[in-house]
Amino acid sequence: MLPALLHSELVGTNSSSTFLELPKSFWLLAQTLRLLFSGRYSSVCRKSHRTASFSAHVIIYLARAQPKKKKKVDVRREQAQKDRMKKKIKKLEKAAPELIPIEDFETPLKVRSLPPLSFEETERRVLLMKKWSAYKQKQDRAEKQAIRSLVEAQQEALKELRLESEELYQAAIRRDEGLFPFEREGPNYTPPLPGYDPPEGKCIDITKVYTQ
Amino acid sequence: MAAPVGCLAGWGRWVGSSSSAAVTPRPWRLFGALCLLRLPRITQPLRGEEEEMAALMGQIELEKSRYSDHEVRKLEEEEQLRRRKESSYDDDEAPGKTVIMAQDLEDKWEQKLLQFSPAPRVTDADKKDDRTSLNRKLDSNLMLLVKQKIGNQELWLLPQVEWQPGETMRNTAERAMATFLGDHIQAKILGNAPYGIYKYKFPRAIRTEDNVGAKVFFYKAFLQSSDLSQAELKKDYLWVTKDELGAYLKPEYLKKVNRFLLDF
Repeated sequence: MLPALLHSELVGTNSSSTFLELPKSFWLLAQTLRLLFSGRYSSVCRKSHRTASFSAHVIIYLARAQPKKKKKVDVRREQAQKDRMKKKIKKLEKAAPELIPIEDFETPLKVRSLPPLSFEETERRVLLMKKWSAYKQKQDRAEKQAIRSLVEAQQEALKELRLESEELYQAAIRRDEGLFPFEREGPNYTPPLPGYDPPEGKCIDITKVYTQ
Repeated sequence: MAAPVGCLAGWGRWVGSSSSAAVTPRPWRLFGALCLLRLPRITQPLRGEEEEMAALMGQIELEKSRYSDHEVRKLEEEEQLRRRKESSYDDDEAPGKTVIMAQDLEDKWEQKLLQFSPAPRVTDADKKDDRTSLNRKLDSNLMLLVKQKIGNQELWLLPQVEWQPGETMRNTAERAMATFLGDHIQAKILGNAPYGIYKYKFPRAIRTEDNVGAKVFFYKAFLQSSDLSQAELKKDYLWVTKDELGAYLKPEYLKKVNRFLLDF
């Protein structure tokens, strides 16, 4: 109980005020200890007989005596503090905000050091590019031809269907609502491994967050 | 269907039903067929020019790039090691602090990669050339061929079923799939319109005024359920690629089918 009371009293006071109070409290303590040893305050101690708890009682009395003197000083000091903080905030606000760096635009200064290309290498590259463009052109033409033949076959089928029955034709040219959105997972390099259990990993996010 | 010798048993039933009614008898019989495609699961191998080009692209990218964080760290550590070896002084770092070098990390990653073995691209079914399995030729489209009896001939065809009045052609195609594969198979039919048509006339022996020939409308669908263990396949079936179709289909039929199949 005694340490709790002491703690509550000390917490109740302002941090700035205890600095000045300490020497006062020590002075008072010194005074009271002198008086104690002289024997005049022996009546204060009722519950215990040990000197340690007796001095603790005295300290409690001293602590309780302090708050009455602190009030005006505290209020003034608090006001001064608040003003100082406000001035600091105003100064910071007036200064221009620091720009947040865009990490994507920062490139390392050091450039990759590779040996320069030989004449044969450049020649080979140019010739390969030419072959590649011819290959791609052929591929593109083949694709376009395939699409053309697809469309032709479909048109023919629809024509024949119309000859057969108008209602079947109308049903066929109606839009298929369930077709889009069409989702499909593309092919991978290897087929899925049956019974493969992928290892669990932790993802630690180290992105830097900047605040202005 | 080039000239099968006709058997009247199959056609007789149809001729009988046509005489009923308000419906003006059409001379053509209608069939709906489904070209069910199993899409490729792995990428095709790169051909000659593609491989060279891929290598060249990688090289050009490397030349134009800057050092990544990992590479910068690796270079710095190599510098440090070199300096330490040359001057052989005690390191400035506090003793007891274990530093993982970038090279060690790379070795660790390499080890981990070697431990993992992916599934083979050329499967067992490829090696045995088992044409009834779906695991064959994972890098190309496979389509379903079924042996059906037309006239009195058993022919390999895309699964087809006769059209019944009251349903659309697409429904006929779906019914064809259900007849041959059962109800549990999921497939996405691409649109309401047919992709192709195969028209043929019956041989003169069976041809009548009302019954000149048949039109088969093809629909294309992508197979979506990956395993067919629940499929109740009643008759002979095959999963073949476009190149292998020629071995099974009749030439005229094949020509019409090839028009709407893309080339892979």
